[in-house]
Amino acid sequence: MAGTEKLVEADHAEAIITRIEHKSRKIESLLKQNKPVEALKTALEGSPPMTRDERCKSANWIVVHRALMAIKDVEGMFSSLDPEYYDILMKYLYRGLSTGDRPTCDQCLRIHEKLTERAGLGCILRSLADTVNTLFPIIRVSCLAFLLGIIGADNQPKTYVEFTQA
Amino acid sequence: MANPLKLYLTCVRNTLEAALCLQNFPCQEVERHNKPEVELKTSPELLLNPVLICRNEAEKCLIETSINSLRISLKVKQADELENILAKKFLRFLSMRAEAFQVLRRKPVQGYDISFLITNYHCEEMQKQKLIDFIVQFMEDIDKEISELKMSVSTRGRLVASEFLKQFL
Repeated sequence: MAGTEKLVEADHAEAIITRIEHKSRKIESLLKQNKPVEALKTALEGSPPMTRDERCKSANWIVVHRALMAIKDVEGMFSSLDPEYYDILMKYLYRGLSTGDRPTCDQCLRIHEKLTERAGLGCILRSLADTVNTLFPIIRVSCLAFLLGIIGADNQPKTYVEFTQA
Repeated sequence: MANPLKLYLTCVRNTLEAALCLQNFPCQEVERHNKPEVELKTSPELLLNPVLICRNEAEKCLIETSINSLRISLKVKQADELENILAKKFLRFLSMRAEAFQVLRRKPVQGYDISFLITNYHCEEMQKQKLIDFIVQFMEDIDKEISELKMSVSTRGRLVASEFLKQFL
């Protein structure tokens, strides 16, 4: 029983990753056409809701990160973004803030301030309280993974294409 | 462009305002006990997602909430070895006197420089806004304090050195 469940989830994960790949290509083309807000909308739309697979979460994060960093005009973005995306955007902002990378954090802090003004404290509380659909990979304690984490290199892939080739 | 420090503090303030919703919750495992759930982490349903807000590679703030308590851990900017030592000594001095601060934790969380623990009892006795103001003010002032300490150390060092070397003139 558990075996078949794992298989189902693996297939589902593959399907999600292919979808994210398509999304990534669409976003690249939208960014080339200078439409960062549409790119962000596309990135936030198909966020995999209840997947426990860390690769899907990381893959989606890379895509959203790319769209977020391309945004220059924060006010303009909010005037065209629908309120239904505020909650998921707030979750991604917190993921961005946890990375510690200076340009990402600067951008995320800027957007966070404006988003809180727009959406209020409820948005923050919903992202804190939602323990079911989290964006962070679940840290499973494993010696090997821990050691690899210490020795491993720190290069974060910049685009989804690099992520797949890595 | 807005000051990055101000943005960081605004973000922390907003997150704290949202996260500081604490109520009394007696312990589920042991009767007649009342423990801060964020410290024990026994039941996952009582905990919210922890949030890490980084300003840059050096400074960060971890906010963990639960139903009856909230823990904030700060890592302050330490540019060089001297600031490292000064920050450690100064924050240890404060942590030792945690009783006087009430919301301070005696030992910082692993990986951070100083931690605060706010429970529902603190929220009942003190005003929530004032607690948040205190924490944000603390974050603002700690940088100034450490730079002042560093400046006084280098001034003293310079004075002592010049006095000492005068005899060789």
